[in-house]
Amino acid sequence: MAADPKTRFLVVDDFSTMRRIVRNLLKELGFTNVDEAEDGAIALQKLQGGGFEFVVTDWNMPNMDGLTLLQTIRATPNLKHLPVLMITAEAKKENIIAAAQAGASGYIVKPFTAGTLSEKLNKIFEKYGQA
Amino acid sequence: MSDFSGMEDLLQDFLQEAHDLLSDVDNKLVDLEKMPDDKGLLNDIFRGFHTVKGGAGFLNASELVTLCHLTENLFDRLRNGELELTAELMDVIMDATKGVREMFGELGQGVQPQPADPHVIAALQGALNGDLHAAAAPAVAAAAPVPPSPPVSGEPDWASLQAAVTGEAAQPAQGELITRAEAVAAAQPAAAVAVQAASGKEAPSPFGRRASDRPAGQPSNARRAEERGRENTIRVDTSRLDQVLNLSGEIGLTKNRLTSLRADILAGKSDSETLHALDQAVSQLDLLVSDLQNSVMKTRMQPIGRLFQKYPRIARDLARQLGKDVELVLAGEETEVDKTMIEDLADPLIHLIRNAVDHGVEMPEERAAAGKPAKSLVRLEARQEGDHIVLIIADDGKGMSAERIRAKAVDKGLISEEEANTLDERQSLNLIFLPGFSTKTQISDVSGRGVGMDVVKTNIQKLNGSVEIRSEPGKGSVFLISLPLTLAILPVLLVLLGDQPFALPLSLVREILPIDQQRIQEVGGKETLVVRGEVLPVISLARLLGWPTDRSPEYGVFMQTAERSFILGVDSFAGRDDAVIKSLEDFRPKGVAGVTTLSNGQIVLILDMKELLTDFGQHVDAGTAIRNFEFS
Repeated sequence: MAADPKTRFLVVDDFSTMRRIVRNLLKELGFTNVDEAEDGAIALQKLQGGGFEFVVTDWNMPNMDGLTLLQTIRATPNLKHLPVLMITAEAKKENIIAAAQAGASGYIVKPFTAGTLSEKLNKIFEKYGQA
Repeated sequence: MSDFSGMEDLLQDFLQEAHDLLSDVDNKLVDLEKMPDDKGLLNDIFRGFHTVKGGAGFLNASELVTLCHLTENLFDRLRNGELELTAELMDVIMDATKGVREMFGELGQGVQPQPADPHVIAALQGALNGDLHAAAAPAVAAAAPVPPSPPVSGEPDWASLQAAVTGEAAQPAQGELITRAEAVAAAQPAAAVAVQAASGKEAPSPFGRRASDRPAGQPSNARRAEERGRENTIRVDTSRLDQVLNLSGEIGLTKNRLTSLRADILAGKSDSETLHALDQAVSQLDLLVSDLQNSVMKTRMQPIGRLFQKYPRIARDLARQLGKDVELVLAGEETEVDKTMIEDLADPLIHLIRNAVDHGVEMPEERAAAGKPAKSLVRLEARQEGDHIVLIIADDGKGMSAERIRAKAVDKGLISEEEANTLDERQSLNLIFLPGFSTKTQISDVSGRGVGMDVVKTNIQKLNGSVEIRSEPGKGSVFLISLPLTLAILPVLLVLLGDQPFALPLSLVREILPIDQQRIQEVGGKETLVVRGEVLPVISLARLLGWPTDRSPEYGVFMQTAERSFILGVDSFAGRDDAVIKSLEDFRPKGVAGVTTLSNGQIVLILDMKELLTDFGQHVDAGTAIRNFEFS
């Protein structure tokens, strides 16, 4: 998978301002095909609907948090290959390890710039390209 | 002047959302006091601060990030059972929340927030440090056994990334923010000194303003200005906007139909089919326009809960300050009210709630002596009744004594002894709305802050509403506020003087009755009529307007304004109408609220009864007869 500008993203965060920030940053990087979900549960529903190629999710959310979402994605046959980038406000060791173990494709700490996001995305794209 | 050029939109979004979030946190905090172990609440509050912190980071609002981070850490400890929620800790948390709110205020003005009050930061850190060693050890121990890099197959890149982050950030992650906060705290005393030395309010020190004006405990100007700034935007459910769009489309279609019919008619076509089509098109337009009006009105409607949610916290803080135990119970938060009205209701409601907590509710000992439960309930309720919104502020306190209120009003020279004797219970209670009236001799710093009950009443009246008091000594008091659904459309009663129609706000009209000249009695030189035992003055509209009064009015409109009840004498009626008020801007004769156009194109004046009567009271009746009715 290359860095196709048509890549369909799903941005998951309960805070709409944050979704907008991520959406804007993605747009800055040339990705305009972005949908949003308010929490893990809604995200799963949308993902099940198909068509998404990339998930960017917050960690801390009501109903279903980002880690559970990630674990559920990895445990769902038709979704488990989706790249998932975890966003969180914490650079805590436990969190990072938990994300890694759950199979996150990347981990980014708030606040971040378009540059940082691009770097993280490219790494993931590279990895998926190789696979 | 803005620190956020290029980010204004983002900032607005953030503030609006974060404000809601914080109000929610505030309410949850009040709940938490009752249920300190509720994991769900602790989690929600934690997430609230966490979310605000995340957003603030993108705005580079580092001071807000620091404050939220510390508070969030505290809640992390609380929800993990590593800390216990004590009353002192609750106060620290409340102060932190207040700090966050004040920072929103500064952000709203487009400036980066000043560092938080050093006391709050220190208190937060103290709370965190109190159990820090005990708590930190198990946390590290728990983290340690986890293998540092269990490379998940097929994800080598992430493993190295993780190693890089953990190796690099593990230490600072815990340490960084705290060290920064400590640095802030350490810098504060020095800054405070600097402020005292440099007595300017706009001290150049980045720590200046906070240190100087925090202790007053007043909401900062920044916050007020910010709230005013937010009035320009409104959040509308997209389905409502879609409806507006839909209707405008339909109206467009109907207009096309009418245009084509006009062409037909102008071309001389006037068969019954064309006329029938015209009739149909016009009726349809009629329906669509009123639907559109309703839909547009609905876009302005907001659930009053947005206003209500600020109050439990205010009531709680005040009760605590006064040493009372009060719970504010909300009901009907989903009731929708015009947005401008919500804004204008904010202050009167705060005042009534303060009043209930301060004056209405007794001290715990008093309640115990009266055999009441220690916790007092103040109820704030909203509901829609027909085309009115009713707001209720009820307390289960000591109630009001009509006797004492009358005595007080006489004492203060607001009314004479004779006047006092003529007042019934309801009229007596209404005395508290007189300017200069305050039932407590000693003005407390809570309710007695310049805004009296008279202002509450004036503000409600400005919204075409009314306030009513019911009170039962020993049981409590109820304030009932009644408001029209919207300010844009005013239901009016059309009355006639000769052939000239005038519009009266229907909200003031109680009933319409024929005037039988035989039954008019003269009391103190004034014409009065007894209606079901109540003596009401009869005021002729012609006289109010300065028209010749050669014939006596045939009909009376029983009107009840906030100050008085009376019968307005008119010649006849033309019906009722929903008037769309057009203001007269600069040219506004006294006693005229505005104008409206009737369906036949005739222009009608909408009368402002209050203004007309003030004028009347001064010119014709400087004496006593009418004044008796001022309080009815």
